[in-house]
Amino acid sequence: MRRSLETIVLIATVFLCVAAPAPALAAPEGTLTVAVATFGNERWLPHLYVGAEDVVLKPLWENLLSRDGKGNPIPLLAERWQVLDGGRTWRFHLRKAVRFHNGAELTAEDVKFTFTAIAKEGSANSLAPEFRLVKSMEVEGPYAIAIRFEKPFVTLGNRVTQGLFGSVAYIQSKKYIETTGEDGAERHPVGTGPWKFVEHVRGDRIVYEAVEGHWRAVPHFKRLVFLKVPEPATRMAMLRAGSADVIESGGEYVDELKKVGMRTLTMPNTVAIWVILGGQWPTRPSYDPKVPWALPDAERARKVRLALNLAVDKKALFQQVLGGVGAPVGTVNYYPTDPWISDALLKPIPYDPVRAKTLLAEAGYPSGFEVTMNLTAWPGRGFLPDVGEAVATYWEKIGLKVKRRPVDRAVFAADFRARSYAGVALAYAGPIIGPEPWELFYRISYSKAAVHLLTEHPKLDAFIERLGAEPNPTERARILRDEMGPWLYDYMPAVAIGATHSIAGVGPKVGDWPLIPGHMGVHNWEYVMRAR
Amino acid sequence: MWRYLIGRALQMVLSMLVVISIVFVLTRLSGNPVHLLLDVNATERDQAILTHHLGLDKPLPVQYGIYVRNIFMGDFGNSVLTRRPVTEHIWERLPATVELGFVAMFLSVLIGVPLGMYSAVHRGSVLDSAARVFAVLGQSMPAFWLGLMLILIFAVILGLFPAGGRGGVESIILPAFTLGYFTSAAILRLTRSAMLEVLGSDYVKFARLKGLHEQVVLWKHGLKNALLPVVTFAVMLFVQFLGGAVVTETVFAWPGLGRLILESITTRDYPIVQAGVLVLSALYLVGNLFVDVLYSYLNPRIRHARA
Repeated sequence: MRRSLETIVLIATVFLCVAAPAPALAAPEGTLTVAVATFGNERWLPHLYVGAEDVVLKPLWENLLSRDGKGNPIPLLAERWQVLDGGRTWRFHLRKAVRFHNGAELTAEDVKFTFTAIAKEGSANSLAPEFRLVKSMEVEGPYAIAIRFEKPFVTLGNRVTQGLFGSVAYIQSKKYIETTGEDGAERHPVGTGPWKFVEHVRGDRIVYEAVEGHWRAVPHFKRLVFLKVPEPATRMAMLRAGSADVIESGGEYVDELKKVGMRTLTMPNTVAIWVILGGQWPTRPSYDPKVPWALPDAERARKVRLALNLAVDKKALFQQVLGGVGAPVGTVNYYPTDPWISDALLKPIPYDPVRAKTLLAEAGYPSGFEVTMNLTAWPGRGFLPDVGEAVATYWEKIGLKVKRRPVDRAVFAADFRARSYAGVALAYAGPIIGPEPWELFYRISYSKAAVHLLTEHPKLDAFIERLGAEPNPTERARILRDEMGPWLYDYMPAVAIGATHSIAGVGPKVGDWPLIPGHMGVHNWEYVMRAR
Repeated sequence: MWRYLIGRALQMVLSMLVVISIVFVLTRLSGNPVHLLLDVNATERDQAILTHHLGLDKPLPVQYGIYVRNIFMGDFGNSVLTRRPVTEHIWERLPATVELGFVAMFLSVLIGVPLGMYSAVHRGSVLDSAARVFAVLGQSMPAFWLGLMLILIFAVILGLFPAGGRGGVESIILPAFTLGYFTSAAILRLTRSAMLEVLGSDYVKFARLKGLHEQVVLWKHGLKNALLPVVTFAVMLFVQFLGGAVVTETVFAWPGLGRLILESITTRDYPIVQAGVLVLSALYLVGNLFVDVLYSYLNPRIRHARA
């Protein structure tokens, strides 16, 4: 087992040398202006940002690892690493002579400081619950650190990688933050990334400048300017007028981008969409046994969930609501490109309203039932209320009485935690924060998780625990393909819609742009070439 | 006059207290910022720590008392999102808003007053009809639509101005016109009707009978008197621009105060919402007072009545 892990590390190291994009030869020049919908919380310290700010934070900082073109872990700040004791210990050996933008050298103390900050109580960082599993961290010299866990943590590599959205364990300078103070570090953050901080005007702009002589990649553009432009039509106009070179976009703008001769940058299969059927938490005090899809009679409840799936034409939904971007899949949080997806899961649950009605009648609801559909938008996923509206319309066709309830996420967020939305449905889009589906389930569908966004089921808990302790990636892939996938398909905890892509519109100033597969949100700013 | 001013100042303080109270209650009803500041999978303990840190664990009346006391001491608190002083954020955004408001106002007056005057003098002419069409369009077109159309034509197709953001002088033209068009139409109508009334008055007829040059009649006797309601209207509109430019600021990605307040509402950044509304209310009340004083200065009848 240990040998196989070490072999992976060795192969990855060799791959990095061969496959990493070469640094730019020419000096950085010009400005790359990017219009994005949101800057997130606009915070700069590891315990203050959440993770959704990935797009605008990533240029400044670096993680210990990254991912290659095939999704394998590769070195970044850590030049090599070892996974020992079945995943209970991770030892990282840092690259020497990597410097923060203030000139200080990166050391293992900085890694320990950053991970401690992420894990501290009250931390807003989305990785906090996982970093709190750390039992101890030992600095074994200026360039080596061992991180120990009580139980195996086999996918820590996916939490400390530059190659995934929301992996925001960016290494920050202990000395700088301690001497400047949190306030000073918030006003002028320093990192080790290929871009250094210049200016941040809250809600307006973040400006970076290329680090010439960066150890890994010297950007092709001299300046990188992020503008916060919440209105999508304005972003589109800015791209067309040349006021922005890159814009965050949605599927609904793909056709228009093509029509006006703009390129699109597609990050395929990065968001899984499903409709949450609230109330599947049978052991909680807020469980309501009258909710049709969560009835104590498991067979009747399953018939209801199947009927709700059969009622929705997912292909039409993708075409009409999501601009044809993406594809339906037969279950939740499995992507068409996953190595563990089977032919059966690739096929969406068919559109069959007649059978849906029959199943509802068999489950004891011949005249349908009343349901509330929350229309809630999430940052960067503005299409969700439209998906909810479309699903509500399909459900009405099989006799359900659907009450639409537009509700803000800030208002509804408490319900996720309290499990107090039994009988309420809402469209949700899970970002790909780890390549393996259970990594997201661990956060949002585990009975020990803080929130509930799918189902609580002992079988799913068992899968999550088993996969989380399995150090062999091949065996994990087998469990995902042969056991968890079929179980999810059969149990059908939600209305599975499918997987969609992240889209960016790109203007004429921008040349080649290598991307990391499976990374949601625009990234790799330092590798964006100038158009010839 | 001084008694009048002191009375108005007291009224302003009372109005501000009412505004503070309403905003305080409404922001608390709109959701908890802790849910947005933390990740969805944050623990109860994380929430409790942050809630305590923000002072949101205290009973509402206590929070209200602290808030009002701090305001009277000049402390608007810190943003829950950035933890920086709220005043820093307001000052950061106020220049952009004032700049946009001034230019929009200038454009409104520049377009509205001459057109309104011309329209009144040449009543029934083709240009009068055209001016009235201009006014109706201006008052019926939604700002977001007009803004997007202007972007499409002048930024995308003609490439004359940037499509969004705050940069050089050229970046303010489209948002200022979008904001000012509605008011220029209103000023046009107001100037036209005031001018028509003035031109029909006895003193204007008398001035003409005296054999004064028509330009002197129009500018000195006509416009000077017709401008009184226009000036009042324009000052109040300017104050409204400062807070009411949210749509224009959003469409043009203009980093102004209105957008800051809107964003702070969506992120439940209570202190910024409260301080922003307070600043806008104060500006509105001061603007009102200024207009009253100006009015009594320009119109001796009012001055004498108050005295």
